[in-house]
Amino acid sequence: MKELLTPKKLIVKIATALALLAVVMVVCSLIGSQKTSYGIFVHVRLPRVILACIVGAALACAGVVFQSLLRNPLADPYILGISSGAGLGAIIAVISGVNWTLWGRSPIAVFAFAGALGTVWLVWFIGRLAGKSHVTGLLLAGVVVNAFFSAVIMFLTSIAKSDQVYSTIFWLMGNMTEEDFFVLWFGVGCVAAGMLALFYISPQLNALSFGEDDARSMGVNIAGTRIIAFAIAAAITAVAVSLSGLIGFVGLIIPHGVRLVFGPDHRQLLPLSGIVGAIFLVAADTLARIIVAPAQLPVGVVTAIVGGPFFLVLLVKYSRRIGWLGK
Amino acid sequence: MNKWWWLFLFILFWTGAGFAIFGVKQNQDLGNTCLPIHAERIVSAAPNLTEILFALGLEEKIVGVTAHCNYPPAAAKKTKIGTFWQPDIEAVIAAKPDLVITVGFEQQKNLAERLNRLGYKTLTVNIEKISDLFEAIKKIGIATGREYDANIMVRSIKNRLDEMAALIGTKDKVSVLWVVQREPLRVAGRDTFINEIIELAGGENAMGPTVYKYPPIGAEQVIACKPDVIIQPTMGQENLAEQQEKALRYWRRFSGAPAVKDGRIYVINGDIVSRLGPRLPEAAETIAGCLRPKLFKN
Repeated sequence: MKELLTPKKLIVKIATALALLAVVMVVCSLIGSQKTSYGIFVHVRLPRVILACIVGAALACAGVVFQSLLRNPLADPYILGISSGAGLGAIIAVISGVNWTLWGRSPIAVFAFAGALGTVWLVWFIGRLAGKSHVTGLLLAGVVVNAFFSAVIMFLTSIAKSDQVYSTIFWLMGNMTEEDFFVLWFGVGCVAAGMLALFYISPQLNALSFGEDDARSMGVNIAGTRIIAFAIAAAITAVAVSLSGLIGFVGLIIPHGVRLVFGPDHRQLLPLSGIVGAIFLVAADTLARIIVAPAQLPVGVVTAIVGGPFFLVLLVKYSRRIGWLGK
Repeated sequence: MNKWWWLFLFILFWTGAGFAIFGVKQNQDLGNTCLPIHAERIVSAAPNLTEILFALGLEEKIVGVTAHCNYPPAAAKKTKIGTFWQPDIEAVIAAKPDLVITVGFEQQKNLAERLNRLGYKTLTVNIEKISDLFEAIKKIGIATGREYDANIMVRSIKNRLDEMAALIGTKDKVSVLWVVQREPLRVAGRDTFINEIIELAGGENAMGPTVYKYPPIGAEQVIACKPDVIIQPTMGQENLAEQQEKALRYWRRFSGAPAVKDGRIYVINGDIVSRLGPRLPEAAETIAGCLRPKLFKN
């Protein structure tokens, strides 16, 4: 670490990032397959851009937390089975054909949310049963639960009707649409509150990423920090997933990218990752809207195709300067 | 712990403000009531709906169709609103419709719901069986002020089907294997409208009842079900002769099946038979022609 992080520097960085986000949001809502009219701008593009912000920020922040708690550079928000749990919930909602809405949310969103949280709880529970080496147990439990639920998803897909299969696949690939402002308001609230809470515990996260023993010697309540961080990261991921389906890659590369460029201090890593994640997903979703217009690409395709090479460039350029994971 | 209180207060405030600004949303019903309205700008979100609208003489009033809508030829010249599976809501709004018609598939229902939320009038019709088609034509007729034409259309379709049935009479059923996809092999099962059309055309599905609507089958079943005729609709508008050639080459490996032995493998225009629309009699006659070439010379 070359320089010390002062509150002033942090605020300047966050403000700059926020300004950039605002510019990207406005520019992206002016681009589209049709000429921009008031109705399209306000009712179609703006809600969609805001949705992309929420989801991008949530996934990137959750990615930061999972990477530091699991002390594994391959961790992303989906590593503990959230994706397959949510996917299973979604496909059950589609197949069972339930037809009601909860506060304006479709059954797919509600089931996906429940599936995501249920799966994380299950993985956490199994991981705890697995005993002392908590992190390894958790990771393995996550991987196995993921594989198991994916198999169940594939089974259900193979017996579903063709149009049901289609809509599930679109959902699994990430499905951005314009949402009610009511829903967006609560999405923003949930994710902002989650980010704030994670920011509160970022000093403890810093200590934890040095390893359990070091953290304990610094007087950090390890179990408490861990469970709070896990719960919040899982909750905001579940919100993101229930809003937009499974969008991969954001939660993996944005935290790494920000860490490579700005260093591993969670006090700035968390807010900056959130904002950069939002910018990235807004831009990616805009590309997904316009490349093959009037059809659309799944946004997950764009995040991977655009994000992959970009991330590799960052990796080569910066990782020589700083050690991996900043150590 | 002071900062956690701030967070708690923030959540409370945010939730309260949310309800204060937006109120508790009442879920509106889909605007599916069939009140006659004078729709002047109609968007069709499915090829068979476009065909119905054209057949009702509403060509002038259609302001948007999908990229798949290619019949009648004039439909292909209309403004596109995306594909059947991925309609583009921006394009629909840009077309300034006063009525958007969709079918009941998930993606389509989803489009209708989203448009509804923005205050557009929509009509969603389920067309999965032949009886659904007649219902749908009538509903669309009512919604567009063409009830009379819709009733005539339904009657003429039924008449043509009856005439064909009379011509076929009570001859033995021809067993048909309807191939949806060749590699891997997938065929039409009993619980499909394809099955209905086969039966109208005096055939019988070589497949018995199956769990899947369009079951994947193996070589064994192809031979075991002893189809007299194999029919394979094309995907899109590719060269029929070339496809026929390819199909013959593929099916040669099942030389045990009667259809292959007698060379009764037909590749037909998929657009006609895979859309449940006003061209249903044509579809049935095409298939009847495959089953009984002598009876239906043209």
